[in-house]
Amino acid sequence: MQQMQKKLIIASSPHIRDSVTTRRIMQEVCLALAPAGIAGIVYFGVDALKLILISVCTCVLTEYLYQRLMNQKVTAGDWSAVVTGLLIAYNVPASAPWWIPVVGGVFAILLVKQLFGGIGSNFANPALTARAVLFISWGSIMGSYPVTRYMEDAVSSATPLALLQQDPSQVSVWTLLIGNHGGVLGETCAIALILGGVYLIIRGIADWRIPVSFICTAFVCFLLQGGFDLALKEVLAGGLLLGAFFMATDYVTTPTSVPGRFIMGAGCGLLLFLIRAFANYPEGCSFAILFMNVMTPMIDRFTMPKYFGEVKKHG
Amino acid sequence: MFKPRLFPGGVHPHEGVNGKEVNKGNAIRELPAPERVVIPLSQHIGAPAKPVVAKGDHVLMGQVIAEAGGFVSAPVHSSVSGTVAEISTVKLCNGNETQAITIVNDFKDEWVELHPAEHPETLSQAELQSIVRGAGIVGMGGATFPTAVKLTPASGKVIEKFILNGAECEPYLTADHRLMLEKPVQIIDGLRLMMLSFGVKEAVIGIEDNKKDAIAAMKAACRDVEGIRVQALPVRYPQGGEKQLIYAITRREVPAGGLPIDVGCVVCNVGTVYAIQQAIREGKPLVQRVVTAGGLMNNPGNYLVRVGTRVRSLIEACGGVKPEVRQLVNGGPMMGVAFNDVDAPITKGTSGILALGPEAIDPPEGPCIRCGRCMRHCPMKLLPVHMDQNVRDENYEEAERLGIMSCIECGACTYVCPAKRMLTQSFRMGKKVIAARQRAAKEIAQKAQEELKKEQEAAGKEAK
Amino acid sequence: MADTSKKLTFWGTFMNGLVTENPTFTLMLGMCPTLGVTTAAMNGVSMGLATTFVLVFSNLFISLLRNIIPDKVRIPSYIVIIASFVTMIDLMMQAYLPDLRAVLGTYIQLIVVNCIIFARAESFAAKNPPALSVADGLGMGLGFTISITLLSMVRELFGSGSVFGYTVMPASYQPMAIMNMVPGGFITLGLMMIVINAIKKMAAGRGRREEGLA
Repeated sequence: MQQMQKKLIIASSPHIRDSVTTRRIMQEVCLALAPAGIAGIVYFGVDALKLILISVCTCVLTEYLYQRLMNQKVTAGDWSAVVTGLLIAYNVPASAPWWIPVVGGVFAILLVKQLFGGIGSNFANPALTARAVLFISWGSIMGSYPVTRYMEDAVSSATPLALLQQDPSQVSVWTLLIGNHGGVLGETCAIALILGGVYLIIRGIADWRIPVSFICTAFVCFLLQGGFDLALKEVLAGGLLLGAFFMATDYVTTPTSVPGRFIMGAGCGLLLFLIRAFANYPEGCSFAILFMNVMTPMIDRFTMPKYFGEVKKHG
Repeated sequence: MFKPRLFPGGVHPHEGVNGKEVNKGNAIRELPAPERVVIPLSQHIGAPAKPVVAKGDHVLMGQVIAEAGGFVSAPVHSSVSGTVAEISTVKLCNGNETQAITIVNDFKDEWVELHPAEHPETLSQAELQSIVRGAGIVGMGGATFPTAVKLTPASGKVIEKFILNGAECEPYLTADHRLMLEKPVQIIDGLRLMMLSFGVKEAVIGIEDNKKDAIAAMKAACRDVEGIRVQALPVRYPQGGEKQLIYAITRREVPAGGLPIDVGCVVCNVGTVYAIQQAIREGKPLVQRVVTAGGLMNNPGNYLVRVGTRVRSLIEACGGVKPEVRQLVNGGPMMGVAFNDVDAPITKGTSGILALGPEAIDPPEGPCIRCGRCMRHCPMKLLPVHMDQNVRDENYEEAERLGIMSCIECGACTYVCPAKRMLTQSFRMGKKVIAARQRAAKEIAQKAQEELKKEQEAAGKEAK
Repeated sequence: MADTSKKLTFWGTFMNGLVTENPTFTLMLGMCPTLGVTTAAMNGVSMGLATTFVLVFSNLFISLLRNIIPDKVRIPSYIVIIASFVTMIDLMMQAYLPDLRAVLGTYIQLIVVNCIIFARAESFAAKNPPALSVADGLGMGLGFTISITLLSMVRELFGSGSVFGYTVMPASYQPMAIMNMVPGGFITLGLMMIVINAIKKMAAGRGRREEGLA
């Protein structure tokens, strides 16, 4: 017993911990992102796979090198950089040159994530910020969408989004669901995205409130604008599902309170509608989410919940 | 008719080796009294008891060896018959140092003369309070608040409802579970006597859903008693927290900084009520309790242990611990206190002695990813992520504003944190600092007032 | 702020503006032209020199008149003096450098409200003799010029693939359009400040070590 006593440790309670780790959460997000990536590879071929690999490697490597150079604890193994890498790749058209995801990855990890303090401290979603920078800088590359390998006529390489605002009947719901249309690498196949999103929600990793309020708000707005057909197709087209399930639910840049999350989702949906319907950009998803990202601290401040037994002080 | 009742938040912590599943089948065995017992004089919250025996005195089992040191205090009784060997300072499982009386057992187990209540059904409130006080009964769930004080509501407050805590929500612990299985009639009897004395018409026994046999036993025991009902509760830690239990059963929120009596409730652990019943019916003071020995013990079990028995004796009775043990815990794994001295005595508040393996080693802390899990699981609906940030930044005012003083230190946030942050630990520190500051501020204010008074008095004299 | 306990020298004051209290990287003053015109290196140089010209002369005249201008009307007085020199440089540029004037546009007129000039007038020229004030204006002005030239070189390099109009990037280089926009200016400025602060920190560390040895 003496020997046992020597190796006993004293620590403050609780003495047991749940098995969920940051790494596990990030791995599950990667798993949830997999179907959309596979769909992208199926539709756009090896180009898509190449871009995904380059993007993920750039992100992980950037994080690793930065932390080594800065003598920080290396957390590049926690898979969060992989998630960022995947999301950047999914937001790039398959025809993009190799350096597009490299620039995006370095920008996202170095400028948006590490310079602001690493995981948990970034002010906006790194992948989205990278997408915005790429989109603004190289609009012609980022805005030209290749045709999928299964599209019968190369004429309709315009994205469904552009067609929808002219005439919703040009695009069929089935095409949008299976993803056989032009668009960035990971956003085309609605089924794959919904599958991944639902998985995240069921596993308790993403909060259902943000995607649900996001999609519902956007749906209602488009319903008022152009009826049910347009609303349904607008929701399925473009980056809305990818954004709602995977980017608007990023922990760091979304409010933590329950009402705050509804506000976040509704705000994203409304802004997305405004940009798609009235602005110059065909796609407003990333800008809508980025805008709400920077609103997050304010939303959190105004939606602070009342704690158990809290007595409101008067005067 | 049954609707699931739940407090907000909470977790369902996993059980380890020899958890509830194993131990709930182990009937309570009596641990043979040791050769000497070390009975601490501070086994409760409040002033330590004052010794009334001296070295060399012969004492009987159940004899008062130290009397209450104030209103919020409890007397201490000898748990064996024998001779007082010494009065010295010992270290308790919770790390506190206190005076303790060591008694050498003569193994005769001679009881002091017992005085069961003569008319138990018609006790007045004061009589019941004095019996509970005299028997040295404290909250046996682990809080060790003197029960007599709890049963003396401040003027103007009325007890409407007794709530019996049979939730036993911490993993591993089965002491209450076994007690409810083996002594249901006594527990109900004790509760009934308390209700009669206080004129309380309603009592609810809250038991977690995973103790079906205990629910059945208690239901059977209270079938013919009016006003008592058993409420099955969802399995969720910390169901046994006073405020959570009250909310789950009555939907009433105890105000922050308030007591259960503010919403008309008094919550007692089933073990406490059993002790009260023993004190009323048999006149026996609190000298032994049921302790769960769980975790990495070779033969885990539930033991009836004399207060003052060293932990070493309990471990030996369990056939020793497995070699991979890395931590001994007094209480449950979520709120219990780790200790490393197997010679520390078991006290009135020791509900379990657990041996935990390497899982008890704190994993390295990672950066917070703001996932909000801690907020979802906080049973007090606090914001651990923001509170932690403020405590670490030493911004205590903001932490206080966020309600840190309402934190019950249940450990749910730390348990669920994927980044393995030491949240509960940080709040514990923050609360200490804030409490110390409040005390200091009070003292300064008091001093200033006194000085002002003096000055005024002096001025008054001069004026005369 | 200028250290009043030590005797100010012409050279010390000049270097203070150029390096120690560099208006762009240390004082963070004059952000409007810094972000607005630094898309090409040439713009940076000319904007910087124009500002320097105004700064030197406004500092000189404010310093000369510092004992005459009543305290209550000093700000309007400064504006009159500064605006005179801005009008001079504006007209000169329209006459001799019309192309450049067209590019810089209204930013030249906006020198009037450039806070570097105001700050120096208020915190230095109004309290110090003319020679030192000229040194301060020169140092601050050239410090500003060098800073925004560096900034605009980087932005031009990435935003247009050239430096001072000469293409240096390979033909396959696709210019990064965001560098020509305001966000690009913010990002570049931030990154350059990281580098400059790091250099300063290292230099300070070395300085301390040397002092310690001595």
